[in-house]
Amino acid sequence: MMLKFITRIFSFLNKEIAEIFRQPALIVLLVLGPFLLMFLFGLGYPDQNRPLRTTFVLEDQNVPPEELKLFTESINPSIADTQVEHNKANALAKLARNQTDLVIVVPANAVETIQSNQQAGFLVYHNEVDPFQIAYIYSIANIYVDEVNRRILESATEQGQGSAGELQAGLEDAIAKTQDLRQTIPLTDPSTATQVDELLKTLNATHDKLRQFRSMSSSVIVNPFTSAVSGITPEQFSPTDFFAPAVIVLLLQHFSITFASLSIVRERRSGIMELFRVSPLTAFEILLGKFLTYLVFEMILAAILSALIVWGLGIPMFGNWWHFALAVFIVLFTSLGLGFLISLISRTDTQAVQYSMLLLLASIFFSGFLLDLRLMWKPITAIAWSLPATYGIRMLQDIMLRGAPIPLLIFSGIALIGIALFILDWLILRRNIEVQYSST
Amino acid sequence: MNSTKNIKPEGNVVEASQLTKKFGEEVAVDALTMEVPHGTIFGFIGPSGCGKTTTVRLLTGVYTPTSGQVTVLGKNPVSFSKNDREKIGYLIQRFVLYPDLTVWENLNFAASFYGVNPFRRGHLRKLLDFVELRKDSNKRASQLSGGMQRRLSLAATLVHNPPLLFLDEPTAGIDPILRRKFWDYFKELQKEGHTLFITTQYVGEAADCDLVGVMYQGKLLMVETPENLRRKAFGGDMVRIRTTESIRYENRQKLANLPFVRGKVKLISDQEIDVIVDDSSTAIPLLMEDLNAQRLNTETVEQISPPFDDVFVKLIEMEKVNDA
Repeated sequence: MMLKFITRIFSFLNKEIAEIFRQPALIVLLVLGPFLLMFLFGLGYPDQNRPLRTTFVLEDQNVPPEELKLFTESINPSIADTQVEHNKANALAKLARNQTDLVIVVPANAVETIQSNQQAGFLVYHNEVDPFQIAYIYSIANIYVDEVNRRILESATEQGQGSAGELQAGLEDAIAKTQDLRQTIPLTDPSTATQVDELLKTLNATHDKLRQFRSMSSSVIVNPFTSAVSGITPEQFSPTDFFAPAVIVLLLQHFSITFASLSIVRERRSGIMELFRVSPLTAFEILLGKFLTYLVFEMILAAILSALIVWGLGIPMFGNWWHFALAVFIVLFTSLGLGFLISLISRTDTQAVQYSMLLLLASIFFSGFLLDLRLMWKPITAIAWSLPATYGIRMLQDIMLRGAPIPLLIFSGIALIGIALFILDWLILRRNIEVQYSST
Repeated sequence: MNSTKNIKPEGNVVEASQLTKKFGEEVAVDALTMEVPHGTIFGFIGPSGCGKTTTVRLLTGVYTPTSGQVTVLGKNPVSFSKNDREKIGYLIQRFVLYPDLTVWENLNFAASFYGVNPFRRGHLRKLLDFVELRKDSNKRASQLSGGMQRRLSLAATLVHNPPLLFLDEPTAGIDPILRRKFWDYFKELQKEGHTLFITTQYVGEAADCDLVGVMYQGKLLMVETPENLRRKAFGGDMVRIRTTESIRYENRQKLANLPFVRGKVKLISDQEIDVIVDDSSTAIPLLMEDLNAQRLNTETVEQISPPFDDVFVKLIEMEKVNDA
């Protein structure tokens, strides 16, 4: 009995694998396609900030343009290829023609404005539509103005230290004279002597403070605090490193869903389901056989793909490979469940492919692949957490990049979804085979 | 391929009583009552859309009857156990195996899902020999001709050696030579103890069956042996008389008036007529006597079997008259 059960389940293993291997081009595409995508992605996005071609508008003719260029480019390397215009309209026209990325209008009469106790403003113009690029420009503009302010303050501090030097010399003279005066006070006048001693003390203390002020670096006075950020992960990651686990998950989910979604719908249309109905095969055996087949095939595919990505592209893998395998297994299992569900509710191949593509799009937008889930409006995260990719990306990022063990809560969540999908698929398939034909 | 274990050598493998299947208001099978004895080739004949496939689906448990009772191998097909299903082979009308798999892979798959012992290479080879596909075992199913695909399907139906076979139009769309070959296979299977329930649109194939059910517009008109079908259609045996001279009207009238002759005498040519008689074995000597008495030189007097196409048309016409 058990031997027959096993034989029936494994009937699908040989059959499905043979069908897949009838298409060698497909296998090459499945293995090399994602690897090449990752390779090109890494090549296309080096870990560098985008330099912005910047045009300054200098309405004040007295500022030498060369000096401004040197000053600006030393402030921030992201401001590059600096040009100077004296006419704002011309500069904005260049921006519209995409001949420059930024236009910064330097405030005219800045010194007078500041001296009149008002802030002088830099006007920054851009021609971006991408919200991420706009945010980048905001950040560059803030860094730029902060740096200008800092340098002006440093310069003012250095000037103050210079003036303090003159004060210090005068103070030293005053101390010497006071000491001379102290010598002339007779012993019979202790009250005056005490007052002069107090004065000397005050003068010496002021002198010490001035000396300390002059000895300090202007940058320390202006920026007494600094910050240093470092992650507790073993390494700082490039965009390719960061996206690699998500790409692996997304591709494996998509392959599983596509394979599974076409599997049953084709058999239903071919008519072989009627043969299964009359044979000793049960819906459970069919489903289990198909699950096992695709799991075996895709685990091999995932192993090859992961090896290529880790050893071929040098993507970090700090975690445990067994945890990695377990995470991949549960992602595949749940994705297959989703794929078979699509297959069972689709009437045609086209419909199944369309559903699979919709799921891929949903996964790209909602799984945290593009945007951090913490930015998402809470009720919408329900969609995110119904997708295997959301769980898979979290698990693989933790394992590969953080070197952490498989997160149990996330693993349990996806496992529950996977088991629920298997049961649902089984019930629908059973109904399809055993009831559909029997309807009157 | 001894397949008769667990099946009583006598009795009926299929019994249906008032079996009816409706799809909405449409009656696909109407109060069908029949019995299929063990070890027979039961032909189920009727035009396209008359309810043959629906009947097969009712007998295999694919469909639940709307009313009536049916037992196959003593069980209600809808509640067949796995063991019961292992005793049934079902050949679906169209090719449903996998076009991207080879002949061998398809057969191996069928063997697996019927739970056939994994050590089965020899058995599969024998089957391929039986359907003459051994040398094509590495060909993909998509590269096979229609006839070869039918043979592969037949092999897949036999792979678990079932005692009862339901073959739904196994010869549809294949050439007459291959059709003959298929019937040779069926005869061989019958000899090995299988019971075969075969539907067909080719009325001529009725001659190869032990029993024939004639189906028309969802109704089973009759179940008879092929010979009895002819008799029912024409009212008796058909005898053809060939003479060396012209047969005149008066001669034909005289023959028609004989007590054992039924209906009109049919003129085939000047020197050839067909006569329906109660029983050809007793009627032929009497006919020869009468022809001699009429001084007609007879060349041959012999019983003939009219083609089943004519039989079928006649039966349908009779049914229409009855309906009217």
